[in-house]
Amino acid sequence: MTGKPSSRTTQQALTYLILGIATTFILMPEVWLLVTSLKKNTEYLSPQFTFLPAVPQWENYVQVFTMIPFLNYVRNSLVLGVTFTTLCVMSSSLAGYAFARIQAPGKNFFFSIVIALLMIPAIVTVIPQFVIFSQVGLTGTYWPWVLWGIGGSSFHIFLFRQFFANFPRELEEAAELDGCGPFRIFLEIFLPNAQPVLATSAILNFMWVWSDWFNPIIFLSDANTTLAVKLNYAYVTPQGQQLTPIVLAACVLYVMVPVVMFFLGQKHILQGIVTSGLKG
Amino acid sequence: MATRKITRREMLKLSGTAALGTLLAACATPASPPQAPASTSAPAVASGPVKISVMHDPKEFTEDMIKQFEAANPNIKLEVIKTDMTRFYAMAAAGNPPDVVRVQAPDLPQLLSRKLLKDLTPYFQGSSLLKPDDLAPANNYYKAKSPTQFGDGPIYGMVKDWSPDFTLFIYTAAFEEAKVPVPDATKSLTYDELADMGKKLTKVQGDKVIRWGFDLADGWIDRIWMNMLAEKGASLFSADYKKINLVNNDEARKAAKYFFDLQKANAMANPLNPSTDWIGADFTKGMVGIIQYGYWFSAMAESDVTKGKVVMLPSPTWAGKRRGPTMTATGTVISAKTKNPDAAWKLFEWYHGGAPSVERAKGGWGVPGLKSQYAMIPTDSPFQKQARAILDAELPYTNDVIQFNPYISGDTVYNLWNKYVEQALRGSLSFDDMLKKIEAEANTAIQEGADRIV
Amino acid sequence: MDIHLPLVQKGRSVRTQQSAANTQARKGMSPRAWRQARAFYLFISPWLLGFIFLSIVPLLVGLLISFSNYDGLNLMEVKSVGLRNYARALGDTETQYALQRTALWTLLNVPLWLAISFGLAMLMNQKVKGRGFFRTIFYLPSAVPVVAIVWIWKIFLDKNYGMVNGLLGLIRPGTALPWLTDYALQSLTAISLWTGLGSGMVIFLAGLQGIPTELEEAARIDGANGLQVWRHVTLPLMTPVLFFQLVLAIITSMQAYVVPMLISPGSGQNLSNLPPRGVYLYMIHTFQQIFVFRRFGYGIAMLWLLFILIIVLTFLVFRTQRYWVYYETETEEKKA
Repeated sequence: MTGKPSSRTTQQALTYLILGIATTFILMPEVWLLVTSLKKNTEYLSPQFTFLPAVPQWENYVQVFTMIPFLNYVRNSLVLGVTFTTLCVMSSSLAGYAFARIQAPGKNFFFSIVIALLMIPAIVTVIPQFVIFSQVGLTGTYWPWVLWGIGGSSFHIFLFRQFFANFPRELEEAAELDGCGPFRIFLEIFLPNAQPVLATSAILNFMWVWSDWFNPIIFLSDANTTLAVKLNYAYVTPQGQQLTPIVLAACVLYVMVPVVMFFLGQKHILQGIVTSGLKG
Repeated sequence: MATRKITRREMLKLSGTAALGTLLAACATPASPPQAPASTSAPAVASGPVKISVMHDPKEFTEDMIKQFEAANPNIKLEVIKTDMTRFYAMAAAGNPPDVVRVQAPDLPQLLSRKLLKDLTPYFQGSSLLKPDDLAPANNYYKAKSPTQFGDGPIYGMVKDWSPDFTLFIYTAAFEEAKVPVPDATKSLTYDELADMGKKLTKVQGDKVIRWGFDLADGWIDRIWMNMLAEKGASLFSADYKKINLVNNDEARKAAKYFFDLQKANAMANPLNPSTDWIGADFTKGMVGIIQYGYWFSAMAESDVTKGKVVMLPSPTWAGKRRGPTMTATGTVISAKTKNPDAAWKLFEWYHGGAPSVERAKGGWGVPGLKSQYAMIPTDSPFQKQARAILDAELPYTNDVIQFNPYISGDTVYNLWNKYVEQALRGSLSFDDMLKKIEAEANTAIQEGADRIV
Repeated sequence: MDIHLPLVQKGRSVRTQQSAANTQARKGMSPRAWRQARAFYLFISPWLLGFIFLSIVPLLVGLLISFSNYDGLNLMEVKSVGLRNYARALGDTETQYALQRTALWTLLNVPLWLAISFGLAMLMNQKVKGRGFFRTIFYLPSAVPVVAIVWIWKIFLDKNYGMVNGLLGLIRPGTALPWLTDYALQSLTAISLWTGLGSGMVIFLAGLQGIPTELEEAARIDGANGLQVWRHVTLPLMTPVLFFQLVLAIITSMQAYVVPMLISPGSGQNLSNLPPRGVYLYMIHTFQQIFVFRRFGYGIAMLWLLFILIIVLTFLVFRTQRYWVYYETETEEKKA
């Protein structure tokens, strides 16, 4: 970089300053969450502003489990998450592979449909789905997630396609010479080498279900709903007053799962984001 | 190698067909058409456990209660679904609404007009626990000759407990601070007097409201509105309920202006200065001067902050005529399309006349639905005694009902008020324009509602 | 065609391929092509079923409902109302207001997000120590579920008990700025940026790192200074990424609804809570129609209109490509 050393250091200083400000902006709300989750409700609701709790109320975290059957709702989120993820990854990887590696008439037509579906806001189909599911009695059940899983996701199909397209042609040719059918080729050659994209797809899908508020609110009822929905109104006094610090404690626990998943799969997730964000 | 291949493949195929099979099975069952309702004569003997679905508040219909009932009625299994009107309509759309449903007064005209309620009169007449003569006045909300004629007629449900909802609770410390004399608890005030007091009791610090002077019952303005107008024999709606009249309705306008002025003066919680929680909780923190809530509030009005400083007052009048009914009348109904009416009635009878009703009566959270249970209302502390005295004085004025519009849902007018009052309070809409908009939108909703009914 | 199967099963496919080639010369498709086609459709069958029953059927059903007065209960008595729902959506002042709010929202959010995340990416592209640390910090909010994000910000911006007002109150006592009600649009923009800057930064950083350094060095050798290098080399090469992100951002912004829905007090239990007037977005208005008033037809008509509007907008943005987006001449990346 041309320029005198001092202007370079000013530039560096400026860079770190801006990054510092941005970091503070990102971190402050998170810190406030943690700090407030350890306060008494009266402490939070007092007109006097305090940053740290007078005495950290670790019981708040215990109350998360005792006030409602918290683990039941965790289980619900898990069941939905695992079911949907498994089905969606299976369906999307199959389709993505097919689009990448198998020749067939009509392939391009269907692939352009996959792309086109990305453009359609999910809402335009979810509301009529709600109507249809209501009429046949599927609301209040987990069936919608099973169906959505089987149907796969355009984004994930795209992800798998891009991934599988990069393998050399010779792989199939060699396999076919050995008498392998397409399914065997997929299962024994491509899939075992697809761990990165499988991991990415699985993590993203699971995180989507875990974080989803809208679909459970529409399709599920209070008894079998997910954690995402339940923690919004579950921690209340008998008179209906929100016990905010306990809700926040529940939030912290709730957030742990996707955050941990993010840290574990960081490399893959960011890779996936980059691939889909750069290419058209 | 060969064995492994086949196993994996076969497994996939199997799981696929299994999933598909169960899916089809699940789809097939609920779509079957509703059966014709059973006869309403002597209870039939159930031949195997019958399942009754109850849509209720899990706090009011607890796990213990479920166990208690199932133990006493081994042939009936209960499933409790949390109250959620969207879910209710989804279930009703599938032809499978919950058998027993918790409702409130504003829901009833609409539910009746959509033919979703079962006529329970024969059951009441045959019951030893729930005698028609023993029904408290609030049950008038569950009697109707037609969707626009509530107050008397065939019985469709029952109140679980109730309160005369137009009574008042005051925080004497607020009066002392503002140097306003505490009103006489034996006299009924007028709404105008209350507004004056309320404005004096309001306290604001900077941008925050630290005391609301006079708040009306969670801002159920539409119900109070209708009650006020009924004092003068007027109504928001036309005689056939197919139109709402606000703009050219002087009585309605006057009452609306009353609320608006209270909200503008921050005497009452409003969208610009809402309560962070709910106004009842704020009262217990000493943040409200006068609050209009029913007798049920006496069970929680005294907190550490307000103990010894709460007085209950009789319901006020708008135009001189006393009308102090309940405006919620929370209770239960039975769905018209229920497949097990007798079992549903058993649950209904037990909940409203059996052990749970006795517990509720003794809890002091409301007046029982049966007159014979009035004696069980607790009167231990001095405050409870005072509250009971006010309650007894109110009872003669609780026979009337507020007639809600059957073509719209119970909270339509309330929601419209909240939507437009925010703009009017900010000044972007004039008061009269606000009324015009509410009227126009409400009329559209009524038109649609009437249109949907064949 | 089946006569070749036993040979295939025994693994002697060499003969199959030869005969296949012959068959191909005579008929339209070889056995291998048939096998491929069959496999293809088998592989995409779950997706295809999903497409038909979860996309096409609902879209058509939705369309039908939008021409009726369906309300959830009147399936047997449902009446057709023709285009009345659409006409009403176009003429209703409330709908227009909601659309206006959404347009404002998009105009505020998208440029800010693009500019700031691009700026952050540029900063991070320099020799910054602890780049991985910053990247993780910034990206973390994207991993946080939306319900938690709303709670975090509800308590942060609460009028009476929030941290922002609390800190401001230390300087000017009695401060209780109503962030979530009066400044709803700005507050939600802050939330949206907080959530989205990380992923934007990551994408743009990857794009920047994809620019061959030789190009930048060549420019500098020719005498360009930092700013000129940025303007004439870096920026043009980033335009494809910027363009793609712009289109995605517009589409997402126009459909925003979850955060406004959850932010109003006492919400989270159902779909009928109203957010503050300032963020009365189009989708919120639609859900009010559907879940509060049970006007399914009207609501779906509104969704279709939004859908069409988004397509038109996207098309228009695509049209502007030729003025500012530079594609590499080797690979013609024409968008679908």
